[in-house]
Amino acid sequence: MSRAATSDILIGLIPIVLSIAVWQGIVSFGYAPPTLLPPPTLVFARLAQQLMTDTFQQDILATLFRLFAGFAIAVVLGIGIGLAAAASPTINALVRPIVRVLAPLPKVALYPALLLLLGFGHGSKITLVAADALFPILLSTYYGASTVEQKLVWSALAAGTPRHQTLFKVVLPAAMPSILTGCRIGLVISCIVVFLAEMITSTDGLGHVLVTAARTFQAVDMFVPLITISLLGLILNGALEALRSYLLRGFPEA
Amino acid sequence: MMGRMLLRRLAPLLACIGLLVVWQVAALAINNDSFPTAIGAIRAVPDILGDKESLINILASLRRMAIGFGTAVAISIPLGLLMGRSRVVASFFNPLLMVIYPVPKAALMPIIMLWLGVGDLSKTLVIFLGVSLPVIYHSFEGAKAVEEKMLWSAAAMGLSATQRLVRIVLPAALPEILTGCRTGLVLALITMITSEMIARQSGAGNILFNALDMGQYDTVFAMIIIVGAMGIGLDAAFERIRARLVRWSEPQFDIPLSFS
Repeated sequence: MSRAATSDILIGLIPIVLSIAVWQGIVSFGYAPPTLLPPPTLVFARLAQQLMTDTFQQDILATLFRLFAGFAIAVVLGIGIGLAAAASPTINALVRPIVRVLAPLPKVALYPALLLLLGFGHGSKITLVAADALFPILLSTYYGASTVEQKLVWSALAAGTPRHQTLFKVVLPAAMPSILTGCRIGLVISCIVVFLAEMITSTDGLGHVLVTAARTFQAVDMFVPLITISLLGLILNGALEALRSYLLRGFPEA
Repeated sequence: MMGRMLLRRLAPLLACIGLLVVWQVAALAINNDSFPTAIGAIRAVPDILGDKESLINILASLRRMAIGFGTAVAISIPLGLLMGRSRVVASFFNPLLMVIYPVPKAALMPIIMLWLGVGDLSKTLVIFLGVSLPVIYHSFEGAKAVEEKMLWSAAAMGLSATQRLVRIVLPAALPEILTGCRTGLVLALITMITSEMIARQSGAGNILFNALDMGQYDTVFAMIIIVGAMGIGLDAAFERIRARLVRWSEPQFDIPLSFS
């Protein structure tokens, strides 16, 4: 790692360390009662303790399952529809206005409808996650695929690639950077939405943990699921970043 | 040619009607009490908008949203531009923002309610938090991509650093900033609904989820239509403004690219 990157990381740590210090300071100097703002040491100790317990692990697994199921559906549909819309003008004409209407729609508002239709189980939450993560992936796939250089397709055709294969052999790889950017946005959204859905109605999952803590005014337990989802987001983001640098290893500085 | 243009204009409207028809058919096919038909839901819309109390509630929601969105934009754009132009500022804030990003802002609501109460302040603050991140991110990206040559010329002509930020970086990054604002606008609506759902006291989200709890399914679906129409309407209005502000920039995509 170069020296510049190391100093960047050090500078970046300052505000995080600083905010934790301020947090500790507010509690230590008695500006806020510990019932409203528990000291960070207590919160992190509680987090470590909770991570060891079975029930909390079950909650994390439930959240992760819904997150991945919804995200996977969104990835498959998003890339599929995005590519199809970029490849065929007919599908494009059909998809474009629908996307134009559905994309700015606040999907959380649909959640009551999903609850009534799909019940209180996994189904409604996974659908909500998929619906929310779908559009960034779809739009960036479409964008990436429709800005692929025409010369690349022509060269492939000239080299004897059948027309229907150019989509997977040329367009898909060429659109990959844009698709992965969309996936990254979709992943963050999935994290947010799965949590919200669990907060609204659920019997397990991290969102449920937060709501239970809020109802009993356990401030410490309210911070724990929030920090957990933030950590999950960071880990998943890191994993996606690793996947990205693996998939894009041939690309010049993407 | 004229016909095609007209069709293009009308396409989103046709899509709306198409979706409503699909809904109507699905509802008739399922024939379930908890899933009213599209026509039934649309009929309930005037009842809600005609009721004085719910109208006040919805307007109060919109007011909170406007205040949260306005302050977020006013603070985030300068911060994002600074981050884009200065490496130190960028590496100072980036990790912090990365930690905050995956946290659902509406999930902070219970904690903020403990501190600030259930009133307007908590809800506006949550909306503010939700909007600021995408706006910061897009301003950052926009400012980073400004051509160095323009800044050099401006510096050679004797503009100070602040003047360069306002007169060169801001306009050059404007298309990207507005993309961020558009994302922020939808997020503001989402956060508004969820924050009101958690602090059941007033607002559009309160009407929606109370109706769900009480089993007034017509109202639930009518509220979904109202909220959806707000989203689509605000987005379309913003698109108009955007097209006017950045007329000089290359014709962009007519659909928003990033939706976080």
